[in-house]
Amino acid sequence: MAEKKKAVIVGGGTSKFGVRQAHLLDMVQEAMKACSDDIPALKPTDIDGLIIATTMAGRHSSALNTAPLVVHRLGLSPTAICIRLDTLCAGSNSAIIVAKGLVESGMAEAILVTGAEKVYMPQRWETNYTQLMVNDHDWDSAMGLGVPPPFFAMIAKMHMKRYGTTKEQMAAVSVTNYTYGEGHTKGHFAGRSLTIEGALEARIIADPFGLYDCCPLSDGASAAIIASEEKAKELTDRPPVYVRGTGQHASHSMSAGWPGETLAEWTHLKVAAEVAFKNARLTPKDIDVAQTHDCFTISEIIELEELGFCKKGEGGDFVASGAIEIDGEIPTNTDGGLLVYGHPFGASGARQSLEICKQLQGRAIHQVKDAAFGLAHNLSGTCAQHTVVIYGKEPVD
Amino acid sequence: MADLEKVDIIGTPALDGTYIAEMDMWPFECQEFNRIYPFYENLRAGKFTTTKCQKCGHIAYPPGVICPKCWSDELEWVELPQKARIVTFTETQAGAPIGFPSPIIMAWLNFGEGAPLKHLLARIINCKEGELKDGDEVKFVVFDVPSHPIEVKKETKICDRVYYAFEPVK
Ligand SMILES: [Zn+2]
Repeated sequence: MAEKKKAVIVGGGTSKFGVRQAHLLDMVQEAMKACSDDIPALKPTDIDGLIIATTMAGRHSSALNTAPLVVHRLGLSPTAICIRLDTLCAGSNSAIIVAKGLVESGMAEAILVTGAEKVYMPQRWETNYTQLMVNDHDWDSAMGLGVPPPFFAMIAKMHMKRYGTTKEQMAAVSVTNYTYGEGHTKGHFAGRSLTIEGALEARIIADPFGLYDCCPLSDGASAAIIASEEKAKELTDRPPVYVRGTGQHASHSMSAGWPGETLAEWTHLKVAAEVAFKNARLTPKDIDVAQTHDCFTISEIIELEELGFCKKGEGGDFVASGAIEIDGEIPTNTDGGLLVYGHPFGASGARQSLEICKQLQGRAIHQVKDAAFGLAHNLSGTCAQHTVVIYGKEPVD
Repeated sequence: MADLEKVDIIGTPALDGTYIAEMDMWPFECQEFNRIYPFYENLRAGKFTTTKCQKCGHIAYPPGVICPKCWSDELEWVELPQKARIVTFTETQAGAPIGFPSPIIMAWLNFGEGAPLKHLLARIINCKEGELKDGDEVKFVVFDVPSHPIEVKKETKICDRVYYAFEPVK
């Protein structure tokens, strides 16, 4: 049997995230341009696989079969795989899981993983209306569950009640992430800063969340190259960053199937994390930098717990202690995360993985000293599914 | 913007009555479009029901065509408890989907020890903002929602619809 190949993330880039005056395919092209600038040796003919992750392309851009559109606009000619993939907010990290398998098996040499969303419509209400279709439509959406703030607000209330988490601790997450957002000029809220007072005095979105507890919905695209170690060496002189281990787990779609004792326990994330750490042959202690799905401040707090970076229930104290800052125990969301860089669903995972790639190559804007292992995590849907991808400067074997 | 829950409008109220199924906020409840239509017929009779597996006894929610535990398709309809307690709730100031009143009150419900349906996210109606507190008891309630047309041969049939929520026990 031929020796299994090793999959690496070579590099990539994002479009500007935000409320964009641009078509979905314009932003995919912007992301490809950024990816090309990041990997100057990369040519269209190097890419033998394409995975485009998008949720809203069908409804918002009338582009149901998105992959051929991307092929045409980017001048690609994939022969191994050419697909659209949708796992909502985890789209492009899911695509990285697929790309890893294809590269390791020898079916593909260099896969373009791209994620893109055109969220904003000519009339703003339509975006919220589309959100009825990203939950379990006939059951939870018909109860009024559209955009996520009400659901996550209940999660926050539950975590506050059970574990004593405070609004000040949640504000520590957004303030830290705004610090990291500095210098990331393509971020949705690029150039803005935030203080604890500013966060606590912001207008209420859904009690207990103020404006800065919630990530924005963004238009945007990202692009990353997942290649074999050999192909990566042809494309760049930078040190390889290996896709070491992944895990993805879903246990329900509708609220009735929620797996935790209460909303404050995300046992399904714990499962996804355990699988990813086992595959990566690492433990949470080994991880130097993390990108966790900070759709809300409370999400980052609970994720740090369930991923094993702190004890269950101690996430609030943990973030307020400075543990997520650049010199802390586990610097988290070092490019500003969803809260500051923004959240075009399908594009977010690759954006996170690219930040980990840059951290492990020693070229991040807010660089964690000697980072050797990094983790990216997405939740998707109404916290229905969890996706974890672990990277390292060394391969598993 | 029109009152989008107005039941005298047939179609998709947000689109001034034109019906585009892709934009529908409610389920297709009629027999022509799903196999769990008894759920909606039972709703009309004021019953909160789901499917129970005759092989393994598992009670699933939402109801289905096969049992998610053993994949048997021998299922029967059973009634669920209609009362629950509020674990936590939210009165959303922003972001209620169009068609729902703002603020919309949603709650995480617990149906108690041993109940076949443990918990549920539910909308609370017939309740003012500020009225509710954790631990309150709520009960199942059915209400009318907009109908939609379907083409049956050359005729257009109107499918009347209902949905359910919970309201405070006073
Ligand atoms: Zn069964």
